[in-house]
This record gives sequence, structure tokens and C-alpha cells, in this order.
Amino acid sequence: MDLPAGTRNYSYAQDMAIFRTKTHWALLIALLVILFTAPFYLGNYWLGVINLIGITIIAATGLNILTGYCGQLSIGHAGFIAVGAYTSAVLTNRLELPFLVGFICAGLVAGLVGMVFGIPSLRVKGFYLAISTIAAQFIIIWIINHWSSVTGGFVGITVPYASIGGLVFKSEGSQFFLIMTITALTIFFAKNLARTRVGRAFVAIRDNDLAAEVMGINLFRYKLLAFFIGCFLAGIAGSLLAHWIGFMNAEHFSLIQSILYVGMIIIGGLGTTIGPIFGAVFLRGLDQLLTMELTPFLERSFTALPAGFATGIAPMVFGLVVVLFLVLEPRGLAHRWQLFKASYRLWPFSY
Amino acid sequence: MRKKKLLIISAALCLALIVTLLPAMSACGPATEKTLKIGMSTPSSGPAAEKGSPMGHANLDCFKYINEELGGVAGYQVEVLWLDNAYDASKAATIIKRFMDEDCLFFTTASSAMMTAMMEIANRDEFPGFACFSSPALTHPPKHIYGQTPDYGDDWAAFATYYMENIWKGPGKPKMALHLLNNPTGYGARDAARALADELGIEIVATEEHSTTTSSEIESLTRIRAENPDVLYISSTPAPTAIVIKNAVDLGMYPGMTIACGHASFTSALVDLGGADVVEGVYGVYPTVNWGDDVPSMDKMTEYCQQYHPDDYGNMDYIISWAQSLIAAEILRLAVENAGIDNLTPQLVEEQGFKKMRNFDVGGLHGPVSYSLDDNRLSKSVRVFQIEDGELIAITGWVEAPLIKYEEFDWYGK
Repeated sequence: MDLPAGTRNYSYAQDMAIFRTKTHWALLIALLVILFTAPFYLGNYWLGVINLIGITIIAATGLNILTGYCGQLSIGHAGFIAVGAYTSAVLTNRLELPFLVGFICAGLVAGLVGMVFGIPSLRVKGFYLAISTIAAQFIIIWIINHWSSVTGGFVGITVPYASIGGLVFKSEGSQFFLIMTITALTIFFAKNLARTRVGRAFVAIRDNDLAAEVMGINLFRYKLLAFFIGCFLAGIAGSLLAHWIGFMNAEHFSLIQSILYVGMIIIGGLGTTIGPIFGAVFLRGLDQLLTMELTPFLERSFTALPAGFATGIAPMVFGLVVVLFLVLEPRGLAHRWQLFKASYRLWPFSY
Repeated sequence: MRKKKLLIISAALCLALIVTLLPAMSACGPATEKTLKIGMSTPSSGPAAEKGSPMGHANLDCFKYINEELGGVAGYQVEVLWLDNAYDASKAATIIKRFMDEDCLFFTTASSAMMTAMMEIANRDEFPGFACFSSPALTHPPKHIYGQTPDYGDDWAAFATYYMENIWKGPGKPKMALHLLNNPTGYGARDAARALADELGIEIVATEEHSTTTSSEIESLTRIRAENPDVLYISSTPAPTAIVIKNAVDLGMYPGMTIACGHASFTSALVDLGGADVVEGVYGVYPTVNWGDDVPSMDKMTEYCQQYHPDDYGNMDYIISWAQSLIAAEILRLAVENAGIDNLTPQLVEEQGFKKMRNFDVGGLHGPVSYSLDDNRLSKSVRVFQIEDGELIAITGWVEAPLIKYEEFDWYGK
């Protein structure tokens, strides 16, 4: 990693540190202070949007480990999120187990289901693997809709508030603290995973699986491990989603959501820790702003517009912005962030 | 080259910023007099836009009429916070929080699916709302969410009641077969039949399912034919329903037995898809009147529709949402009348508005609207139609669907 001029590392510990300079630490603390004081200056709606973004970041981070780091394309991520959501819902509602049990089991069950659907990854890759993960999406949703004695089927299932000990996360603000804490831990985990032996094995498999195998990397083991970790994170995101919304049915986990997750990690920047954060904030934020602000404004202000224009403009602008990003910055927002940091460090010099 | 790229990206970001800040800037202005604020959400984009778009237009057109021509409700202008949910459950979950955050008195949705995504958040905060299209999950058990029109189970119950009273003349129990779409549209009818068939004296002899993409139901109908049913009830959308009826004709089952449909398929599209000669004589239920019917609200609704959204003229979904806005206005009127304007809260509006509704006539657009204890269906009536020469002809007045207490059955939700 590039370091600011005058900064040197004198030990391996310093070299491995994520935050190396006082500026890094100051910025981190400032960010955390701004973030964790948000319930004091934001209303429930914006807290709700941030909660949704936090949950999305966790799930997108899981997909980024699977696809961005290990190169295993998955278009069934919403299905794995559904597994986690329903596992947590069933354990806490029907069996009345504590939230933490439901939360951890949500990750484990989603991880195991992900491994099952990841088995074909040993024989197929690229588009073929994408098709097999789409199958996961459809199979999981079909099971949820038809295993009604457990999942509630089309009627759905109520999910109680998350609680730890006597602390019940009822208000939007308290849910915000829960979700943001888990989001921060997930990001920290993903950042460190990428720097371990496992993370390097994932990258080797992504770059050239044949060469990786020749180097002694057990493809089957590591590919399944990537599926497990990616889907584990999807599962815990699903658990948080279920307890945040309070009611689950299969409508929350459409194929469009799965595709959106792939879009997020591409726009954010594949194979970077910060990519899913940028992607989730950008796409969820843009989506909210267009449909919640722009469309009602146009509908209210320009009644002479042709029918469907105001509502059609949001998806059009959304699609246009996504296409522009892919054309102008195919390496994602994370790359643009790297360029910004580099030019900031070198400023006022160009090189 | 890099500078050019940077310039383009900066320009795009500036444009996005301007576009997003425009609404906020327009919202700034001098304080206005007291208004009644409600939230309305429709899936005006996304996979259900063909239904949601006219419904959103109707909601807003109707409140334009109420505010401009009627002077608002009880002398107060109604401020509608309308948001497009794009038929996206995650977005719906944030929309409901926005409605609550912006001090809306209650909220409405078009689809039952989006209401399902919002309902637990609303129920937890005792924030009342109602959906145009309803499903048993919304109103059973009754909490703070209401259904504007009868659900797919109510369709079955209303038709079964009508059938037993007016069509069935034979001895013993009539034999009924169900052909159901494999989603809540079909399963709503299945659950109602499960709950009420014995009580009404109907024997369910076969239950078959189909998907929205079915191209032939010969096999399932052959199984049904073996049971020799007196009536076939289809709860589905127009295209599969047309296929089932065509196949029943091919197998010689129809004419010869009664066929009836729930409201999801009983529109002019069924005649277009099936052919007027094939679907001749088929019964169906529908919760609203048709365009052009002689009812008090028709002229004003038609005027606004043709003036502001002429493309929506002829769309039945426009009617149901116009009626939804009329009901919303009546709820506000009752709440203001009973509780006063100054201290209105969502809870007060529910107690003094929703729960005070008694036989409110929605300008004849659909059945009367009433609240009765433990029954959160606001309108409980449908009309029975029959297809004659390709036209959907109403053959009854409003037929009330009996309340089914699903939550009292062990199998409900399992």
C-alpha cells in the first residue's frame, strides 16, 4: 500500500496495521462518531434507510468475498439471504429461541446451503456457475413458499424484535446500533480475511484456478469455503433484515434483488473491501433519492407530463447512471477512491 | 483524457446533486395553514407498474378533485405524501417509516404484497393503513391494517353463497373442483373453501394448481373430470384462466357444468384471451363497477381521468384507487368531526375515523364501506357477473362475503 511521504514501517506489526497514521485514526474516529451519533440528529426514515444500507453492506460483502475475491459468480444471493432470514424467523418465532441463537444459526444454515449449491463450482465456472446459482434462488424461494408448516408459506411469518439479554431493540435508533455494530465487524472481518492465507488462496483461484491448483491450493475446499463465508454473511444479513422488518414473506427476496447485489459489487469495485460499501451506499442511496424524492416531485409539479413519465424517469436515470459508471469507471468507485487518495497524498504535485 | 473523464464524472455528480436537491428546494417556502397529511404508496414502477401506475394517478387525481372542487375535507386541505414503492419490499419498509416520520395520519397501499411488507412495522407502532387489494394475512388477526375490498377468499365465499342460493337445484351437496394459481391469488380461495365448504354444504372433490405460464391444463382437467364436478371455480389471472376454460371446452366438460372465476381474472382481458364464444356463460365476481356504469361518482372520475390521465381510461384499477381516495377522505372527515383537528394522531384517526365507518357509499364505485368489530375488511361485497355475448353483465347487486376467522383454524398459516 502507498504511504504518505515520510511515513515508514519499522516492524511487521506496523506493516500489517490497517490504520497506520494519526490522520487515519482521526478520520476513523470522526467517522465513527458521526455514524454512531446519527440517531440523535436523524429521523426514523433516514435511520431506516441507513439500516437498510447497513444490512445491504453485510450481504454485499459476503458476495464480494465469493465473487470479487474468489471469482465464483453467484446470482442467487437473495436466496441465501432468505435462508438466513427464515432460519432466524423460525427459530425465534416458532421455537422461541433467543435472537443470538437465531442470528448465528441463520449464518450457519445459509452457509451450509451455500456450500451445497457451491458444489457444482468445482466443475463449472463463469456463466455456467451463474446459472446454477440462479437455480438456488428459485429452489429456495419455492421451498419457502411451499413448506408452509414451517415458513408460513405465502401467508408469511412474523418475526419478533431482536433482543440480547434484557435489551430489546425496539426503536429504529436501537436497531441502528445493532445493525451498524455488526456491519462494522463484518467489514473488519472482510478486510482481514483478504490478507490471510485463505484470502490469498481465494485471489489465486480467481486469477487462475489451474495455476492455483498447481501451487497446492485445494480448489474444492477453498471454493466451498468461499461459498460458506459468502453465504454466512448473507445469512446474518437476512437475520437482521427479518428482525428489522418484523415480517417475512418471499417478496423480499426476488431475483431482481440478487442482480442488484451483483451490480453493487461491480459498481463499488470487485475484490476490494470498500467496494461493497460504496456500491451499497451508492445504489441504495440513488434508488431512494430517485423514487422517494424525484418521482413524487415530478408527479406533483408537472401534471402536464405524459402518463408514466414521472414514474418512468427514476428507473431510466438509475439505469443511465449505472451504465455511465460501468463505461467510465469499470473498476468501480473503489478505484476512483484510490485515485483520490493518491492525488491527495501527492498534492500539490501531479506525480 | 483522464481530465476529460474526471470532468464527465464531476458533471454527472453535479447533475445528480441538482436533481436530488430540487425537491428539497421546492419544499422550502412560507408556512401554510393546517392540513391533513396522509401517505399513499403505489408500485408505479417495477414489475407491477401496469397496475400501480394508473392506481397512483387515480389516488392523486381524486385528491386534486377533493382539494380543488370540494375545498378539502371538513374545510382542511389534504396533503398527500405519495411515494412509488416500485413493488420492492425493502423500499416499502423504508416508505412506511417515512410516512410515520412525516407525521402522516394514516397510509394506503395499492397491492396486498407491499402492504404485507409494511404491515408489521405499522402494527408495532399502531399506525393504521389500508390496501386496495387485500389478502387474509393483512386482516387476520385484525390489528391496524384494513382491506378496502374483499380478498380472493372472500370472492370464493361470496360466489359459493350465491351458487347455493341461486344456481344449485339438485339434491345433496354440489361437487366443486378448484383450479388455482400457485400463489396467494389461488391459495386465498383454497383457504376459504377449506374453512367454509362444509358449512355452506359444498363438497370439494378436487384441487388442482397451475402456474402463470401454463400452456395446457388438459391433464389436470382430466383428473377433475373423473370426479364429475358440478362447478369448477378458478382463482387465477386472465391468461391461465382462459387456458383452463378453453381446455374444459376441448374435453367436453363445458358447457355442462358451472364455471366461475375470482376477481383477479374476471376482466375484459379474459374475454379477449379466451374468445367470446368459449367463455360465454362463465360466472365471475368483481368488487367494483365498470367504466360507464350509471353510478354517482362515475362522471367526475371520468372527467378527471380524461383530463389528466386519458391513457388510464377504461382501466379498472383506476376505479378502485379513486374509490380508495374517497374512503381516505371519509376517514379524515369522520376523524376531524369526532376528535377535532388539533389533537389528531394516527391512533385517534383509527378510533374515530376507520372504526366509525358505517355504510359509506363510495359514489357507487364498489360496495358500501363499514367497519364491524373484529372484521378489518372495509368493503365486504362483490357483485356476481356473467359473460353474455362477450360482455361482463352484472347479475346481482352487492353480495356480502361472510367473515372467515382464519386465525381460529389450526391449519391457517401452516
